[in-house]
Amino acid sequence: MSALRDWGGMVAAIAVAVALVAASGTVDRAGRAQRGAPSRDELLYYPSGVWVRQAALGYETAAADLAWLRGIQYYGEHRLSDQRYDMIGHVMNIVTDLDPRFTQPYVFGAFVLSQELNQPQRGLELLQKGMRANPESWRLAFETGFLHYVGTHDHAAAARYFARASGLPGHPDYAERFAAFAAQRAGDRAMAVLLWKRVEATGNKYMQEVARRELRNLGEGEES
Amino acid sequence: MRGVVAIAQNTVREVIRQRVVLVLALFGVGLVAASQVLSPLALGEGRKVVTDFGLAGSSLLATLLVVVLGSSLLHKELERRTIYAVMAKPIRRGEFLLGKFCGLWITAAALVAGMFAIVLGVVTVAYGETPWIVAGAMTLTVLELGVITAIVVFYSSFTTPALTAFFTAATVVAGNFADDLLYFGTQGASLWLARVTEGVYWILPHLTVFNARGSVVHGIAVAPERLAFAAAYGLLYLLALLIVAGAIFERREFR
Repeated sequence: MSALRDWGGMVAAIAVAVALVAASGTVDRAGRAQRGAPSRDELLYYPSGVWVRQAALGYETAAADLAWLRGIQYYGEHRLSDQRYDMIGHVMNIVTDLDPRFTQPYVFGAFVLSQELNQPQRGLELLQKGMRANPESWRLAFETGFLHYVGTHDHAAAARYFARASGLPGHPDYAERFAAFAAQRAGDRAMAVLLWKRVEATGNKYMQEVARRELRNLGEGEES
Repeated sequence: MRGVVAIAQNTVREVIRQRVVLVLALFGVGLVAASQVLSPLALGEGRKVVTDFGLAGSSLLATLLVVVLGSSLLHKELERRTIYAVMAKPIRRGEFLLGKFCGLWITAAALVAGMFAIVLGVVTVAYGETPWIVAGAMTLTVLELGVITAIVVFYSSFTTPALTAFFTAATVVAGNFADDLLYFGTQGASLWLARVTEGVYWILPHLTVFNARGSVVHGIAVAPERLAFAAAYGLLYLLALLIVAGAIFERREFR
């Protein structure tokens, strides 16, 4: 009998706790409606990566992942709304300050800066930062060549970086092909098409969408 | 030595009785959930994100466990007066302390090994590749926990559980800034300040020695030399702490 009473007490306590949590959630929702939608410029207040690195207490790479996820979310939200990505460079700089060996944020950040914000120079600066931290990365050298080709249209620089990528360990066969093409066919539309097709085949879903758009602009259909 | 082993065994049993296995279960569920939720959001970097969170989570949870459970371990013996029964046997106070240290460290190491096994399992199932390379980071984490356990035992040899937890947490935080402290000390103008900061630097545990999480997630293995140096540093440091803790505990009056 006393055991039953104990269980009854426990069930009642859990029921009260669930009701209180639900009530607190409702209050929070009401408060949020009053506060209005979160500011789209909230990433302005993201601190510098150097300070976050100090505060991470040895968990820098996990902190970098959180900032990376937040950056992707920021890009995705703005892609569906105003298509303004002003803070993407700032966020990717934080991610790479926290984890300099994480190459994807250099590539993605540079790509967005160049193709969405029309600031290829800032994109190249981010990639240069990546190459200083990862001198053995063929990917960063290759993407620098890519950005020179399609962003700044500096075909000589593109050929130089493609050649550099093709001399680094682990590079795929296409790095050598592009190095040869860039030297011979600088400014050629076919070369740009090949480069964008490579992004369409190997980039993440956002980069693939941009690649399809650029291919359409170059007169290449989605089926090609 | 038999006394130390008996106390260590008893400590392991005592800590397990606190349901630390629950921590393992929660960690496993949390990591599986994270791998399912975060992977699609990470734009192809899911494997890195899950491994990172797995390594960081296991180290953080084990550190918290050592601080929370370790800070009251000695105090409980004094409060329940079971220490009188132990001291009546042919065992020295230093051996008692060493047994407590070994028991807590062994339990924390087993917990970390369990959590790393979960990380390996989740990454293997979710991404089809077993990241054996994290074993080096795990070994360093176990060594780091040895140093943190010794810090807990040191503080608990002369102060209360709440202050032990507070001082240990402060020492762990400061230990992560040890290299920065030395750097900033040498940038100042005054020589005596540089000497003081250098002194504090040598006293603080250099916990960055044990952090290879940022390398292994990028496929860079922990070199055997690094493991050997970290093991030597960790064992010397924890031995120094235990000797001082033993000396303090020998002189402590039980009331």
